[in-house]
Amino acid sequence: MIRGIVGALVLVALLPPLFLTRDLIAAIYFTFLFMILAVNYDLLGGFLGYVNLGQGAFFGLSAYAVILLLNSGGLDALGAADIPVAMALAILFTLAMTWSFAYPLFRLSGAYFAMGTFAMVLLIQQVIVNFPGLTGGTYGIYVNPRHYLSLHLAYYLALGLLVLSLGLNLWVTRSRLGLAVNAIRGSELAAAAIGIDRFRVKRRTLLLSALPSATAGAIFGLQAGYIDVDAAMGVEKTLLPVIMAMLGGSGLVAGPLVGGVIVRGIDIVLKNYLHLAFPALAIYGMILMGIGLLMPHGVLVFLRKRREAGFR
Amino acid sequence: MQTVLDLALGGISLGAIYALMAFALSMALATTHVLNVAHGLILVLGAAAATYLIQVRPVGILAALAVVIIGAALFGLAFESVFVRQFLGKSPEEILIGTILVTLGFGLAVETLLGYYWARWVHPTPSFTLSFPWPHLRLGWVTLSGTRLAILTLAILAIGAFHLFLTRTPLGKATRAVAQNYEGALILGLNPRLISLTVYIVGITATAISGVLLALAIPLDPYTGTRLTLVGLTVVVIGGVGSLPGALLGGVLLGVAEVLTAYTVGAIWSPVVSLLVFFAVLVVRPEGLFGRGSG
Repeated sequence: MIRGIVGALVLVALLPPLFLTRDLIAAIYFTFLFMILAVNYDLLGGFLGYVNLGQGAFFGLSAYAVILLLNSGGLDALGAADIPVAMALAILFTLAMTWSFAYPLFRLSGAYFAMGTFAMVLLIQQVIVNFPGLTGGTYGIYVNPRHYLSLHLAYYLALGLLVLSLGLNLWVTRSRLGLAVNAIRGSELAAAAIGIDRFRVKRRTLLLSALPSATAGAIFGLQAGYIDVDAAMGVEKTLLPVIMAMLGGSGLVAGPLVGGVIVRGIDIVLKNYLHLAFPALAIYGMILMGIGLLMPHGVLVFLRKRREAGFR
Repeated sequence: MQTVLDLALGGISLGAIYALMAFALSMALATTHVLNVAHGLILVLGAAAATYLIQVRPVGILAALAVVIIGAALFGLAFESVFVRQFLGKSPEEILIGTILVTLGFGLAVETLLGYYWARWVHPTPSFTLSFPWPHLRLGWVTLSGTRLAILTLAILAIGAFHLFLTRTPLGKATRAVAQNYEGALILGLNPRLISLTVYIVGITATAISGVLLALAIPLDPYTGTRLTLVGLTVVVIGGVGSLPGALLGGVLLGVAEVLTAYTVGAIWSPVVSLLVFFAVLVVRPEGLFGRGSG
């Protein structure tokens, strides 16, 4: 049944580029990107119970890497293959960075882990800003027009990646890795006692959650044509995925999608229709605060609990 | 000689500010297990209030300080009853997810609105910076900046008052008991709600004061809050949760490192160094350099 719904949604999602305005296509494309980040976030935040406030770092690193690689001209000899090769290299680079951050980060748990991941984002942002010669510093960098991705291509790539990310989460819930993740979430001590190598399981989960995010970042960078630190890994890219997952229901495969529709719906209405003289981030902040106070387990769990209470 | 002295005094006064705000963060963590992500924002709010009072509608610096202290105490009262109270006694995981959401959201909303309205009505580029009208002190052939001496004096006074409160008053002793052993303190009949209220009123007041002091040392803007929360957390990771000597050593270590970095390679690298110290401490000694574990 869930597969049927997802299949129908994907079919519907294939159509918009044929008749919608460019603004709305772009808005839906961004929704896909944020949903990918939220679905990836949930692999760690929802399944493993480690709140990662740094999902945007993987996205941004890969976006910078792919643009810098293509701009350097070193891949020109490859001809038309330069973009896929650059994307693959950028993703590998991002995974290598993720791998090296795993060790200090997983020495932490709970609230400290969350803040550690935030420290990771700030560190990467600051280092990028501090090397203006390489990265353009606060001014950002441009993509050479011959490497642009068209909006339509990026739209379909993002849609495909979103489906793959959902498939990844579903696969993890049914795999040996998923069992280990579940055991660790239940009790770190008990998981260690039955012989699970906790650090390796956590690092593998982190790498799996970084892979689609990095791919999405590479797509984003080439489609945007210009990025700076704020666009690539600013507050929106790091916090919105967490908001979406928690709003929908963390730990449920469909949670980030539900949250994503709500958050992006609010954003599209605010920016494209209402033209509020009021920064949207403040509204996200208030939503986040409201969820934390009223339904800390997300909309889906909140609704399920209400229904169960109703039947009693 | 003059340079060495300036750097040392700069580093130590910055470190004393860091120690004060980090100790408030770590007492709140130890007693209620709430990680206040908006902790750094409270420094920014203190600095913004003082800047507004002193520069926009001119009142004296002592009057401004008094208003900030009273305002911060009331803010602490409200913060505890809205954001913290309902999480008391829940499981650590529930407290973590709930309070991260709540304080993150609160911080994001407040810092965005602060930046937006300050830019609109007060000054197009929001920046909070203060100076203290103390004269320079001449000792033989060296001169000490009056503002830095004022920072150091006020920071030491505030830390001392915090310390005396925790070690000499019954309420302070009860707070330390809850921080050391929550269940044990409950068995003794201590009221966890009263303790949590006390920790937030005292802690947020101390944090707002450290914000005013920080604005005397370096210019702040509305968006420095998160970085300051991380600075506080780094000091807690270095010094251990709930330890005042640890917070002092960690704060001064970080303050001196930042000032030296700013002097040798440039101020833009100071935040990088404090974040690198954070990760380095995690790799080398996750249990903290000077104290109990970091969670």
